Amino acid sequence: MTSPEPPGKESLDSAPSKALGTAGPKIGVFICHCGSNIAGVVDCGKVREAAEKLPGVVVAKENKYTCSDLGQEEIIKAIKEHGVEKVVVASCSPRLHEPTFRNCIKQAGLNPYLLHMVNLREQCSWVHSHEKEKATEKAVDLVRMGVSKAARLEPLEAREVPVEPTSLVIGGGVAGIQAALDLANMGFKVYLVEKQPSIGGVMAQLDKTFPTGDCAICILAPKMVELSRNPNITLLSYSEVEEVKGFIGSFEVKVRRKARYVHEDKCVGCGLCAEVCPVKIDNEFDLGFGQRKAIYIPFPQAVPLKYTVDKERCLHFKTGKCMLCVKACSNKAVDHEMKDEVLSLKVGTIIVATGFETYIPKKNGVYKYWEYDNVITGLELERLLNASGPTGGHLIKPSDGQTPKKIAFIQCVGSRNKKIGNNYCSRVCCMYAIKNAQIIKEHEPDTEIAIYYNDIRAFGKGFEELYHRIREDYGVEFIRGRPAKLSLNPNNKTIKIRAEETLLNKITEREFDLVVLSTGLVPSEGSKKIGKTLSLTVSPDGFFAEAHPKLRPVDTAMDGIYLAGCAQGPKDIPDSVAQAKAAASSAAAPMMAKKVRIEPLTVTVSEELCVGCGLCTELCPYGAPELVQSEKGGTKARVIEALCHGCGTCAASCPQMAIVAKQFTDEQICSELESALVFDGKTHAQKAGHKKKAEAEV
Amino acid sequence: MGEAEKTFIGGLHEKLVEDKIIDESQLEPGFAKEIQKYGGKDVMTCLQCGNCTGVCPISLKIDYKTRSIIKFCQFGLKKYTLGTRWVCATCYRCYEHCPADINPAEVMIALRHIAVREGVIPPFVKIAATNLVKYGQSVKPDPEIDKIRKELGLGEVHSKHVDYRHVLKEIAVLVHASKYDKLIGIEEEVKV
Amino acid sequence: MSSYAYFFGCVIPNRYPGIEYSVRWVCGKEGFDLDVADIKDFSCCPVPGIFYSTDKDTWLLLASRNLTLAQDERREILTVCNGCLTSLLKATEYLQDPKNMGKVNRVLAQIGKKYTGVAKKSEGRRKVFEPVKVRHYVEVMTKDVGLEAIAAKAKRPLKNIKVAVHYGCHYLRPTEHQTFDDPNDPVLIDRMVEACGATSVDYEDKLDCCGAGGGVRSHVIELANSLTQDKCTNIAAAGADCIVTGCPFCLLQFDNAQKEFSKDGIPVMHISQLQALAMGIDPISLGFDTHHVSAHSLLRKLRGV
Repeated sequence: MTSPEPPGKESLDSAPSKALGTAGPKIGVFICHCGSNIAGVVDCGKVREAAEKLPGVVVAKENKYTCSDLGQEEIIKAIKEHGVEKVVVASCSPRLHEPTFRNCIKQAGLNPYLLHMVNLREQCSWVHSHEKEKATEKAVDLVRMGVSKAARLEPLEAREVPVEPTSLVIGGGVAGIQAALDLANMGFKVYLVEKQPSIGGVMAQLDKTFPTGDCAICILAPKMVELSRNPNITLLSYSEVEEVKGFIGSFEVKVRRKARYVHEDKCVGCGLCAEVCPVKIDNEFDLGFGQRKAIYIPFPQAVPLKYTVDKERCLHFKTGKCMLCVKACSNKAVDHEMKDEVLSLKVGTIIVATGFETYIPKKNGVYKYWEYDNVITGLELERLLNASGPTGGHLIKPSDGQTPKKIAFIQCVGSRNKKIGNNYCSRVCCMYAIKNAQIIKEHEPDTEIAIYYNDIRAFGKGFEELYHRIREDYGVEFIRGRPAKLSLNPNNKTIKIRAEETLLNKITEREFDLVVLSTGLVPSEGSKKIGKTLSLTVSPDGFFAEAHPKLRPVDTAMDGIYLAGCAQGPKDIPDSVAQAKAAASSAAAPMMAKKVRIEPLTVTVSEELCVGCGLCTELCPYGAPELVQSEKGGTKARVIEALCHGCGTCAASCPQMAIVAKQFTDEQICSELESALVFDGKTHAQKAGHKKKAEAEV
Repeated sequence: MGEAEKTFIGGLHEKLVEDKIIDESQLEPGFAKEIQKYGGKDVMTCLQCGNCTGVCPISLKIDYKTRSIIKFCQFGLKKYTLGTRWVCATCYRCYEHCPADINPAEVMIALRHIAVREGVIPPFVKIAATNLVKYGQSVKPDPEIDKIRKELGLGEVHSKHVDYRHVLKEIAVLVHASKYDKLIGIEEEVKV
Repeated sequence: MSSYAYFFGCVIPNRYPGIEYSVRWVCGKEGFDLDVADIKDFSCCPVPGIFYSTDKDTWLLLASRNLTLAQDERREILTVCNGCLTSLLKATEYLQDPKNMGKVNRVLAQIGKKYTGVAKKSEGRRKVFEPVKVRHYVEVMTKDVGLEAIAAKAKRPLKNIKVAVHYGCHYLRPTEHQTFDDPNDPVLIDRMVEACGATSVDYEDKLDCCGAGGGVRSHVIELANSLTQDKCTNIAAAGADCIVTGCPFCLLQFDNAQKEFSKDGIPVMHISQLQALAMGIDPISLGFDTHHVSAHSLLRKLRGV
């Protein structure tokens, strides 16, 4: 920084415009009153007077509401009349009206990036509302700084990139399915990638849904079939996303289609192969309560209805023998020689709908999930209640297959627990326990049911009504207390729950035949991998982070990547569907426009100065810089403009000062600092010193 | 008055309960902060789930509920905690199970700190402190046991050694520096 | 192997010297010949139920004093009591905060001591300090000596003896302290019992509290005894011949309480006494005379009578 110039007329010329030569750009300054928001504190007249005297300023105007039509017209008029080349608007925060004023000066024929906004409201009048004189002085300083920077603004062109009208949906649960259908019906091509052999997600495992009691698979299956038939959707099941490169409009995606060992185009889903397969395995879909074969479909309504060979358990893969399924198939669909296939796709937008898993209690814990047969989780109960489940819908005790007479539900298992780190509410457990209690009571009205809860959250449409009915019509007992101890009676396998019933103010012990743990929702295992592949951030609860918790619930910080369903946080089916539709609509916007503007407020790397140290690639939160082989030789950093958000981290850190942030160049920032500290050739300190001297003399 | 009515009224003991309604005059403002000062974590985060009471061995035996103590601390009902402060066995089961990550045993310890600073000092505390200062151990040596030690071929309890006297002096210095002697009332023994 | 310092605490030397004898015997020449010394200046740990409960500053000062003694000799503290373990281990945790260490050292300076931790290595001119290690007898036996070595030395395996193991609250909790065993499913003392040839029986509510700690025994003895009675009922139902524990205070509680509710009572001993028995010590040296519940029936069973 240069030392202050000695006072004198020359100093005015040696003020900021010196670097620009004698004929600097013509600058127009527009000061806003913002009603009384600014004018009530800052004396805008004084600010305008001071602005008029600044070097380069050809016009300085005040306006009551600059952002209004009238105000904007005045700006356009002034620009044309005075030949203004660069504009300073001194008003509110640029976060509010920067786009407004950029458009405004564009209409006047100027490059929209030759605008600089000075914040006289949030950073001046609103925070210094009790010190009007000082606020006015500050406003004068701020405008002077702004003019100095504006003089050095360069015109920039927003680049437009084309948007491929194709979308990738990762995850085939209800959210992924809905998003894919909406996009396809809008006319876009969609690739739906699902890691399981069938789409459907967790919803396909549920029995009935709350609060209306709709059968889950009955309402989901038609959507699944519709998806498989939609000509715009390519369903890639039993596949995983391996790599994603590129940026909004042109993502390059590699998808691995895992080998099913069954040709999809030949398999008709008749099931003859499974009938003859000798290997029986516990079924993942039924959570260990049912069985399947080594060649299988996960459930009867699977889409696509194609069989898959479980490589880990198939006898042929283990021992080389047994080709019973091959012989049984009349279409010759089974082929043990199949290999994985890797597809390369180009898509414009991506929707992440990777869903959730349920919390599994730990071994030797209080709830004895692993130790006692008759302690099951909420999802296991869904399978036992499901008419197409392993017991045909008859609820049985796992220990002896008898019907349970007394059932306890324990809420908040794995949720709302700071000790284990899941310090959030899983949102659906209160209602699914109530819903399941109703189903059980409908089947066996004599069953005694007790729900051990901490709070009951019945917040949605129709929820409170069900909560009321379950107490009034079905007589389910609600016990407020967190169970402290579960013990087993070895003779009849009943489980004794000891808890302090806080509303009764007594410690009680009650016996039950079956205990259902209402386990919470946790992010799925696969989602961690997807998060890394796509550079997505997570919230403290472990689910993917949305761009803004209130106003941008389906966007992520990465342009072109959207979130839908439980991948973003625990929610029920209506909310998942709503969010999926929102994500589809957000994804459609750039695809509909066919092109998207990349804000030019990005960084550029000077290849001459860059030494290829790679520090910028490590620091960038968006993965924008990459090291490439330069044509001129050597490894250099290059910034993918579409990924760059202009945060400036790399520019500030580059040890070679090879990176320049547009509109925040070193020269621009330094000029602002200089004009803040030097005025009339004196520093503020010197001014204050003269004042004191003057006071002392008096 | 007929026989039936007499029985009815006679059978119902309408003893006048002291605080039917608890109003602000019975609360101690800042009690929760005082608990925090002595190491009990923020009791205000307690959701009163009752898990601590369920696992507490003391709550099973007497009219004492861990959860209620935390509630009294939250609310400022200090007088309801009196008489319950010295029954916690510090087994830490409550801490292990608490979903809000509060340590009720530490809250009991904070209550004990407050009790002692108000002059409520159980005799066993004073005895142990006196023993510590006199013998360097909280348990007083027993001549019968000393005989058995000799029979077994073990040396004397090392606190009986002549060299141990400087240890007693050191203990006295520490106990005086932390003002514990004044707190417990053993100034006589601790002559520094 | 490491070098240790015996920390017997208050109860063992003054009430159950037999335990002191068996610990010395097992760790000494007749046993595993560990590098372990006596630090004569050790005082009460101080007992957490009294001092940690009433004034944490005093507790920390007294504990730090004990820790500096071990620090200056560069020895690990070998405790044989759950209470001492908790008290000293907690003190090392508190002392990791420099503010606490500063406060403590300002007072310790008055007696010419300073707690720094044990200097482990030097990085240039800077020394790296580790907190003083405080280890329970069970940890040292199972981790440093090893179960195979214990079994190898069991010259008189305690066949047909059924043992009920009582771990005790401060062995298991707070769970952050318990680094060598599983606080929800502890096994190490059971393994040691089996290495000595005996059978460790499972009984209901094995991990429950004995009732003595936190001042309960001193303040409301009926309450403590009631908890002990519950445990003894379960232990008797499992058919145990004796109770083995790693804490002398739990031992004292079991030993004294049984006469209140039981005619004969089940003998209680420290794990070191059981070990010494299996290693061939003359039972007289175990000091069972100081125990209130007679061990005659157990010793007779051992002799095969």
